[in-house]
Amino acid sequence: MRVPHALSALLPCLLLTAGAAAATPPPLPAEHLTVEQLPAQTPHWVYIYDDAFANEIDARIYLFDGDSFRRLGQIGAGFDPAYNLSPDGATTVVATTYFARGSRGTRTDVVEFTDNRTLSVSGEIVLPPKRAQTSPSLFLVAYSSDAHFLYVSYVTPEASFGVLDPLHRTVLSEIDTAGCMLVIPSGPNRVSSICESGRLLTVTLDAQGREASRTMSAAFFDPDKDPVFVQGVRTPEGYAFLSFLGEVHAIDFRGAQPVFLPPWSLMSVAEKGHWRPGAEQVWALHRGLGRLYVPMHQGGEGTHKDGGTEIWVFDIASHRRLARWPVQAQGLSRVVAVEVSQDAAPILFATTERADLAVFDALSGHLRHLEKHIAQTPWMLLIP
Amino acid sequence: MMRTLDRLFELSTRSLAQRTSRRSLLASLGQLLTGAALLPLLPIDRSSRANAAEAPPGPESPENCQYWKYCAIDGYLCSCCGGSSTSCPPGTSSSPITWIGTCHNPGDKRDYIVSYNDCCGKTSCGNCECNRNEREKPMYRPSRNNDLNWCMANADANYHCTVSVILGVAEK
Repeated sequence: MRVPHALSALLPCLLLTAGAAAATPPPLPAEHLTVEQLPAQTPHWVYIYDDAFANEIDARIYLFDGDSFRRLGQIGAGFDPAYNLSPDGATTVVATTYFARGSRGTRTDVVEFTDNRTLSVSGEIVLPPKRAQTSPSLFLVAYSSDAHFLYVSYVTPEASFGVLDPLHRTVLSEIDTAGCMLVIPSGPNRVSSICESGRLLTVTLDAQGREASRTMSAAFFDPDKDPVFVQGVRTPEGYAFLSFLGEVHAIDFRGAQPVFLPPWSLMSVAEKGHWRPGAEQVWALHRGLGRLYVPMHQGGEGTHKDGGTEIWVFDIASHRRLARWPVQAQGLSRVVAVEVSQDAAPILFATTERADLAVFDALSGHLRHLEKHIAQTPWMLLIP
Repeated sequence: MMRTLDRLFELSTRSLAQRTSRRSLLASLGQLLTGAALLPLLPIDRSSRANAAEAPPGPESPENCQYWKYCAIDGYLCSCCGGSSTSCPPGTSSSPITWIGTCHNPGDKRDYIVSYNDCCGKTSCGNCECNRNEREKPMYRPSRNNDLNWCMANADANYHCTVSVILGVAEK
């Protein structure tokens, strides 16, 4: 049979196609859309605060796993928010602001509760429009030790704080703090605030969340010469605050009145005036091991927000420095926030000026992982 | 408002500008030495030449974070957002409450009290972030704190950018 010229040219292609079809694997099965469920929580999950400063109405909190180095999910956080975790770690609380028309319009301040098992919002409490809008700290929204009260720092710029009932989702009261700021919780019903004079105001609440009594301490630091950062760490006895020049002010909050322990310095005499702490979140403490982690840099007046070129590790009981970990040698830019897990094989998380997240072995300083650009402006980290 | 990371952005931007300038110089030399016909062989990104004319503003410019009045600023420079160092961008409103800094003017060697007002009512400008903290104090000393959103008392409390306004000469 005579095959037309064009068909003869096509024939090899057709045969090839038929052969290929015979070898083609079966099509992929239909897929089913699902919503991912979180695995069981581990001690190495970290909640990363991203202020999204370049578009600040869209802040968020990322949940990241320090073992798998994967992002697990996200919590929306509105405008210039504050956040914290409940004492049992089951809830993330975000105190934030929304504007009625996105970037403008009536301001609504609100506390939102997220169930950390699902990352779904489980409830909210609308606040008076007074919430302190500022850089993140442990002490802008905080639970009482038994989680029956929730405290929110207000600045209008008059200072006060709100007492909330997180179980019944209500605002119970507003406490005037006479210019003192922050909500530093202790026990089931006490709140302390740092005053411009360097003193500490402590308010004790009654069962209804109203003021029962208040006391004012003597000044425990000099706010003119060496103010303390507002980023404190929780200790077994209460909290510790770090000054711009590296003095550690530990406070025992177990009694009715705060007890101020003798301050001690992170630096030797030779290092003073050269090295100092600086960051957005200036230190972290492993309470079981008593190890402090502090981003340190060389600099002078006005560098207290410069990140650390080294992380210094201290034993909080003996005040002895255990290690200096230069971070730039490991490819990191300056460290702006640190947090450490509380388990026996702890991880130190550190975010950097370039917005990377470093995952260190907190015992050896070994860099296990560097997650590039974890967020836009990751200024704080929290671990239950 | 405020923040720290700008320092890196500002430094990296200036560093980039410096590198760009050097590459542009190489491009010019290449043209002189080898002629335009050989240019495609040079390992140079000539797109950078477009940037060569856009020299970054020096520290005498209100669009530069190192401008003397910005010694305790934290936020976006209104000069880069449609305003100036003393005016808010169109359509925003100025905050009536502020924090202050004390800044040294190298031009007349005087120290000045500077008011840092935020401009409010639109989301953050996102251009020319600048964070400097000379004599800056934590939020429990609010008049010297640049972390607070000073748009907090405005009808539209959203933060957009920050200006710096001379209030007077600082008394010694």
